[in-house]
Amino acid sequence: MRKLKLLGSSILLLFQLHLLAQNRTITGKITDLNGKPVPGATIMIKDARTGTSSGPDGAFTLNVPPTAKTLAVSAIGWITQDIEIGDKTSILVTLTAKDATLSEVVVTSLGISRDKRSLGYATQQLKADQLADKGQVNIVSAMEGKVAGVNITGASGGAGASVNINIRGITSFTRSNQPLFVVDGVIISNDVDRTNGGPNGTLGDQQPANRALDLDLNNIESINILKGPGAAALYGSRAAAGAIIITTKKGGVNGRSEVVASTSYSMQNMEGLPKVQNLYGQGSTGVYNPASSNSWGPKFGATPSIANGLLVGGAPVPYQAYPNNINDFFQTGSISDNNLSISGGDAKQNFILSGGYLAQTGILPNTSVNRASVKFGGNTVFRNKIRVGGSVNFLNTLQTGILDGNGASSLAVIEGLARSIDLTTTRVKGTYQNPDGTNNWPITGQDNPYYDAYKNPLKSNLYRVIGSVNAGYDLYPWLNINYRLGIDAYTDRRKQIFAISSARVPAGQDLESTIYRSELNGDLIITAHKNDIFVKDLNITGLVGQNINQRRFQVVTAQADALSIPGFYQISNGTNFAVGTAEQTTVQRLLGYYGQVSFNWRGYLYLEATGRADESSTLSTSKNTFFYPSVNATFVFTDAFHIDSKILTYGKLRANISKVGTDAPPYLLSNTYVKGAYGNNVANFTFPYGSVAGFTLSSTIAPNVLAPEFVTSYEIGANLGFWNNRASLDATVYNTVSTSQIFSVGIPPSTGFTTKTVNAGKMTNKGIELTLSVEPIATKNVRWDIVGNFTRNINKVVSIFSGITSFSIPGSAFIGSVPSIKVGQPYGVIIGGLIPRDSTTGARLINSGTGVYATTIANQILANPNPDYILGVSNTFHYKTLSLGFTFNFIKGGQVLSFTAASYKSRGAWSETGKDREKPWILPGEILTNGKYTQNNIQIPAQTYWQTLGGLQSEFNVYDATVFRLQDITLGYDLPGSIAKSLKINYIRVSVFANNLFHVAPNAFFDPELNTQGAGNIRGLDLQGTPNATTIGASLKVSL
Amino acid sequence: MKLQLIHINRNCRTLLMLSVAAMLLGSCKKYLNVNTNPNAPTQVPPSVLLPTTEIGIAFANSNDLDRATSAIMQQIAGVANQTQGYDVYNFSGAFDNQWNGELYGGSINNCVAMINLDSATSPAYSGIAKLEMAYAFSILTDIWGDVPYSQAGQGDKFTYPRFDKVQDIYQGNASLGIRSLFDLVNSGLADLAKTSALKPKTDDIVYGGDLTKWTRMGNTLLLKFAIMLTNVNPTMAKSVITSVLSGNNYINSNTLDFEVPFGTSTSNQNPIYNFNYINRPGDQMLSSRFQAIMQGFNDTLRLAKFFTKPNGVFVGFNNGSNAVAPAQATRSQYGTYLIAPLSSPTSLGAAPIRLLTNFQVNFILAEAALVLGTPGDPNAYYQAGIMANMQKIGMAQSDINAYFAANPTVVTLSGTQQQMLQQIITQKYIAWCGNGIEVFDDYRRTGYPTLALPLNPGGDDPSVIPTRLPYTIGELSTNPNAPNPRPLVDVKLWWAK
Repeated sequence: MRKLKLLGSSILLLFQLHLLAQNRTITGKITDLNGKPVPGATIMIKDARTGTSSGPDGAFTLNVPPTAKTLAVSAIGWITQDIEIGDKTSILVTLTAKDATLSEVVVTSLGISRDKRSLGYATQQLKADQLADKGQVNIVSAMEGKVAGVNITGASGGAGASVNINIRGITSFTRSNQPLFVVDGVIISNDVDRTNGGPNGTLGDQQPANRALDLDLNNIESINILKGPGAAALYGSRAAAGAIIITTKKGGVNGRSEVVASTSYSMQNMEGLPKVQNLYGQGSTGVYNPASSNSWGPKFGATPSIANGLLVGGAPVPYQAYPNNINDFFQTGSISDNNLSISGGDAKQNFILSGGYLAQTGILPNTSVNRASVKFGGNTVFRNKIRVGGSVNFLNTLQTGILDGNGASSLAVIEGLARSIDLTTTRVKGTYQNPDGTNNWPITGQDNPYYDAYKNPLKSNLYRVIGSVNAGYDLYPWLNINYRLGIDAYTDRRKQIFAISSARVPAGQDLESTIYRSELNGDLIITAHKNDIFVKDLNITGLVGQNINQRRFQVVTAQADALSIPGFYQISNGTNFAVGTAEQTTVQRLLGYYGQVSFNWRGYLYLEATGRADESSTLSTSKNTFFYPSVNATFVFTDAFHIDSKILTYGKLRANISKVGTDAPPYLLSNTYVKGAYGNNVANFTFPYGSVAGFTLSSTIAPNVLAPEFVTSYEIGANLGFWNNRASLDATVYNTVSTSQIFSVGIPPSTGFTTKTVNAGKMTNKGIELTLSVEPIATKNVRWDIVGNFTRNINKVVSIFSGITSFSIPGSAFIGSVPSIKVGQPYGVIIGGLIPRDSTTGARLINSGTGVYATTIANQILANPNPDYILGVSNTFHYKTLSLGFTFNFIKGGQVLSFTAASYKSRGAWSETGKDREKPWILPGEILTNGKYTQNNIQIPAQTYWQTLGGLQSEFNVYDATVFRLQDITLGYDLPGSIAKSLKINYIRVSVFANNLFHVAPNAFFDPELNTQGAGNIRGLDLQGTPNATTIGASLKVSL
Repeated sequence: MKLQLIHINRNCRTLLMLSVAAMLLGSCKKYLNVNTNPNAPTQVPPSVLLPTTEIGIAFANSNDLDRATSAIMQQIAGVANQTQGYDVYNFSGAFDNQWNGELYGGSINNCVAMINLDSATSPAYSGIAKLEMAYAFSILTDIWGDVPYSQAGQGDKFTYPRFDKVQDIYQGNASLGIRSLFDLVNSGLADLAKTSALKPKTDDIVYGGDLTKWTRMGNTLLLKFAIMLTNVNPTMAKSVITSVLSGNNYINSNTLDFEVPFGTSTSNQNPIYNFNYINRPGDQMLSSRFQAIMQGFNDTLRLAKFFTKPNGVFVGFNNGSNAVAPAQATRSQYGTYLIAPLSSPTSLGAAPIRLLTNFQVNFILAEAALVLGTPGDPNAYYQAGIMANMQKIGMAQSDINAYFAANPTVVTLSGTQQQMLQQIITQKYIAWCGNGIEVFDDYRRTGYPTLALPLNPGGDDPSVIPTRLPYTIGELSTNPNAPNPRPLVDVKLWWAK
């Protein structure tokens, strides 16, 4: 209704212009502070209804009656000015911009720069100073707590460990839900490539990186986060999970050259493991046992006796607490980061050359990341108006990691280590092996943690090239044609070794794996722009484009098992190559055709529609071409209604509906046979048997027909500015519906197959995003900015497939605690066994024979990893050139299943387990006898009590993951401009910073923000992974 | 291109527009035709499926199901991890791998694929596949009771396979279209008798393509199935056994045993060795209860083939005990018979997995003669069974003779029919050491040998030795035809005593 009224009054206005009497002509020009013309500004005679608007060159002409005294000059995004007319006939008006954040230009889909006010969907931009100098190595970690609608969780504080990012929840059952990463228009991989598909499966491995790790944070100019399908519709299938649009630094535009050198150094320490007890040492049932991994031995100071195991052969055994034996295994890590960039040129010809090197040693022994980046980019405009640009970024990332996870990894040994084990002895830390090179740890099924760290590492050596070229030409002033070709290709050569006698692979193993991934995108984009089309003040922009996409992936693995010569890690040292040795090659291609048409009515009303048709190589031929549209509208009502109140300075409403289709992974369309293999990590067999080959039907049944999956999103939002934009609010409410999911649904294994690929299912995400920016103090010398980001997303699996109410997320490691997709529940609930309860009192049932809990009932919801909401608050104080910035992050709710917690309890290492050990314990619960429930009164020893509560997959180790964290803090100082000038430099900036300085987790006795399986769809599992790290450092940046 | 663009004019502009249009509309069928899977074949010859199914049924028999049933049957005791749980009847979250990846997937689905091959060219393969499939289904129904059978293993032809009743699986049910296990075997035997253009050779790792031996295997399967019916259909049991006896074409010598060979390389080892010696050496050991039974019969030479004597003594562990287990190096672990072939005692991991044996046949015939009245002398079969087993495990003939001479009461049936049955089944229990499934079947069918509950029993019902295993979570959560709630492990099977 409002829109109609507005249009009506506008038309009326047009007529009035011609009807009124005119007495005098005034000409003028509207410019900004830099003298650039401001087109489209409204010049009104105050207290009259007469006015005009400025042309493309900022000029205007207006006839005014003699009674007119004042002109009001307003333009969207600019502060309104009143100009006294007097007897002037020529007026020059200089406008001042309103808050920059409300009229900023952002990079959107396909690299198109847009005025933010015109966008009909939510985006949020982060600038370099919000990302760099925070002690972060991974660009994804650097965004945590700073963007509404985004949920970021690191795997751990391990060097190079992957970081998970989901925007507006999870929208696909089994495909990647990481957003699309685009650097300067080039789609790049943020995949996590896992090495260990062997007998260990995903029980835990060295945490590999998400490939955004390769990006050098120093090169980033800004990041724009396109939060939903509405924003990313033109990227089509790839951007259903949103997109991260990264713009790197470009050459100068003022004709000068600039040299920027930066260096930083930081230190890292382990943070977040539970407190330990130091009263009891190694053993079980109060008896010392050097082969036990538990601390249920005798009390320290007990008189040695044969009975308590402390007297052996008449001599007492050394037995004392080593309070720091766990902490001491972790080392102080360091990050040194150096970057140099040289840039120069002007708007027409410019270049940038940069090089960076980062060296990180992790908090665990023998872990590191070394990253080198060299980049060259340039742009030029020829005299015939052809624009050509290109860049090439060469990256090399080396990562060394050690085993994570439950079982025999060094972390599984360390976390909950028996309190009387001295790790500093020569035998343990010094030589960490027997003279023959074998593991010397006395506990069966475990490795000496140093042995595991130094003898069983994973090394990754990645070479990556990201390159792009683009060329553009203005065929007519209103018609532009542009072509961009982008490629991202990397080869990651991995080597994973297991020394002979290692607990996980006792026969030894050398695995060489080469991972190759490339993505090529070519985009032809034709843009047309016309002002005053049909009627005056209606501007239209149209775009048609074509995308050609190819993704290649290959992994070739040579796995040598049963090594012969200790300490020699080469394929030739193996005696068995049947397991793991394999190759996998995939190619998938896509052709996309897209179009966009945008209407702009007077800069306050925008309407935009997009459409894209994709043709994919991976879908059934009958269904492989699919079309999806989007439409959005924007209304800046403060400008439309000329609201210029002090309180409400700016107001914009927006809405969009969009649909995005996604194709399938390649090769799902036919049934296949694969090499035969049986068993798992405890016993296994792999063909060939001698020289006899064996094949087996693949466990997945091919689909009858495979069509694309779709995500439909409905979004409304508002951007409001108050008190001259000293406060602004960006609010969004959305509802996303995912349908026709492509996934392998679990089918009854008695069919001979465990899954079938289908198009089915429905999932919704409903959420609210708020970003509130406030500037409480803004004086010449003092400024205080607060930005708060609130994220709440409610995910619900509505349906899966007829007859199927739940299935496990691919990659699940443990039967008994399975991250699942379950109807009626949010995505990713962990399903396991729960102890049966008395239906009236809710008390847990106790087995009357043992005094411990009754056997669990399977297939229940054990944990829900989805947080209730996330609140991030950043504060920045500026005093002259001194600045202090810090970000708090508060994650409310969500649950984590912690194997670490379980281990600290069952091993008797946690501080609580040291209390009242000699007293009998009774588990809370009820006993069922003859149909009647009675209060449990069966006394059990402390060890039984805690080991009952310390079951790995027990409900007692599900913790509320609520955590409040000082995400990062930075104190920066810029040398005052005058001094810098006298030194003939642009600026010098010194910063000291820290991240993850402290956390408060009210309901967990450890840091619950861990995600051992790393970036991916499985969340909420701490599988005795690497703990988090605190980073403290300093940096220096000089610009010449 | 470059040169043209520098002197761009109106014609060139038109040309450019046209070429752009051509690019947009150009044919792209070829470009998109890249979805042929280079990583996995869509068709394979039966010669690569047969070895998979042979290893499959052996693996199913000797992996986790064997560990669970051997612990329940107190031949081994669990001291860590899953086996420790099995010892006290904690089966939660177990056996999905066996159900999914060893039986229905791995064995049965690939057998179905072999049966579905062109029947004119390859009845040899389909015959073998039917026999293997019958064996695989017998493991399933004997352990879990009602299981998917007539509709199983056929992919999305039956997306939610029906759970057929044990009695229908054993006896058939025409109205439900269920062919009995006996008929399945007979159909396989009929296929083997046909002319087959394609015949297995070295791909048959059990019998090297000798179809006459497969025929013996099939007839022996009939004996194994028939003896399961002693409590519920003795008439049918007697008739089948009498018929097989008169045909005289069953496994009647140790050299004809149906046993699947394994290798020494780490990826080819039998699961018993691979688990107990390579991946989980600390999880299980000799049960002190089995040790006591063997020592009670002075049968320590045989026990020393089944289990090691680290320092010259057997060190067992009581099932379900909470006590600290003895140091690993001193524990009695599975011995030579179960880890290496008799012919090559240093080939660790290469011991075959014995599925149908001559000693088993003798014990079946002893029982049948005693209980069903089939032809033959129970005592002669009984002694032949003990003798065949002692020979099979590698006891010297002189030691065997000495044992028979020194222990006449052990090796001779005496007393009531029940007492004699107890002797037969107890000796069968000893002979089958390492094949927990067979002894679990016999125990539930006859109640022998006499076993006491472990210490600290738990699970569904801590008061009885389980009479079945719980259905797997994977099947329960995906198949609406699965019994819901699942029967507890104290619910007896149709053929149980």
